[in-house]
Amino acid sequence: MNDWLARLSQLPQQWFESPIAAIALTLGAYFFGIRLFKLMRRPIWCPPMLIAAIVIAAVVASLPIGIDDYNRGASWLMLLLGPATVALAVPLYQQLPQIRALWKPILMTLPLSATLAACYAVIIAAIMGAPKDVLASLAPKSVTSPIALGLAEELGGSRALLMGALLTTGITAIFGVEWLSRILRIRDPRLIGLALGINGHALGTVRAFELGTVAGAFASLGMSLTGAFTAIVLPLVWHFFY
Amino acid sequence: MSVLRGFLWLLAFLLLGQTFVRLFHIPMPSGVIGMLLLTLWFGYRGRMNPDVVHVSQPLIAMLALLIMPGVVEIFFVADQFADQWAAILTALIVGTLLSVLSSLLLMRRYLPENDEAANPLGSVDHE
Repeated sequence: MNDWLARLSQLPQQWFESPIAAIALTLGAYFFGIRLFKLMRRPIWCPPMLIAAIVIAAVVASLPIGIDDYNRGASWLMLLLGPATVALAVPLYQQLPQIRALWKPILMTLPLSATLAACYAVIIAAIMGAPKDVLASLAPKSVTSPIALGLAEELGGSRALLMGALLTTGITAIFGVEWLSRILRIRDPRLIGLALGINGHALGTVRAFELGTVAGAFASLGMSLTGAFTAIVLPLVWHFFY
Repeated sequence: MSVLRGFLWLLAFLLLGQTFVRLFHIPMPSGVIGMLLLTLWFGYRGRMNPDVVHVSQPLIAMLALLIMPGVVEIFFVADQFADQWAAILTALIVGTLLSVLSSLLLMRRYLPENDEAANPLGSVDHE
């Protein structure tokens, strides 16, 4: 009997020796998050990703395993970030006619918006005395995660902090766009979509597709262009200052 | 099989992107270069490869899921940034609200007015 209990207590560690358990936990928490999100009538401040992340953290904390065991397994899932980034070429190519028709106003506004999205946060954090590695983790906060991860690594930021920043930024951007566009009486779906994509990366784009296809198309345009622009400019500017 | 063929295309362009990054010392993730190269390739061919379109939809839908494993770690390293939380949260929330406000104002100022066809939401307001 004791022998059996000993074997039982070793099970969690043995599960997490292979990546299967971590991947299953991630997918399970994801679908649980979506289910709970719908049951809670889609609260804007608590997206499914936040629920799922808290569930995973709770499970990992309650089992006799460390966060490193989970990360090692989940990194297999993260391998898909590379191909998923390349896959963004599809919405980008689909938006090419729109980009050509509107290239002038987009060219005037998007680089400035993308720059401001990074600058406001970095300047506020710098004024409040945040050290360099925190600034490096906050700078790519409005960029879609595969690009942002590469950027934070390049600038020497913390991966965990950046991911938290991405989530916070996404939630705030969705709330901000809906609140401010109501105040400013902006109803143009192209504009709302662009603002969601530029400021709220993938989370904003998912939200824009819920509002309609025009908003969604422009959000993926805003997300792709912000990502490409920031990926080129941010390392150059950063290495100029540091 | 179509999904796997599309996936192979994505992997090929990811490797091509990595090749460019290494050869020319480009300060960008290989995925981004791969994305730009694939867009150029589509433009050169004049159409998209249907296999790639097939696999891209589920992958892009997974982007939000792929953020999650990284977010989990923040709960475990939180005390590492214990004295920074006020700065970090203020920067993220105030900074994002400010940038949303400025991009909305900028776009409203410079984006040409919509014609009716492109604006299904706006048409609701007309009498």
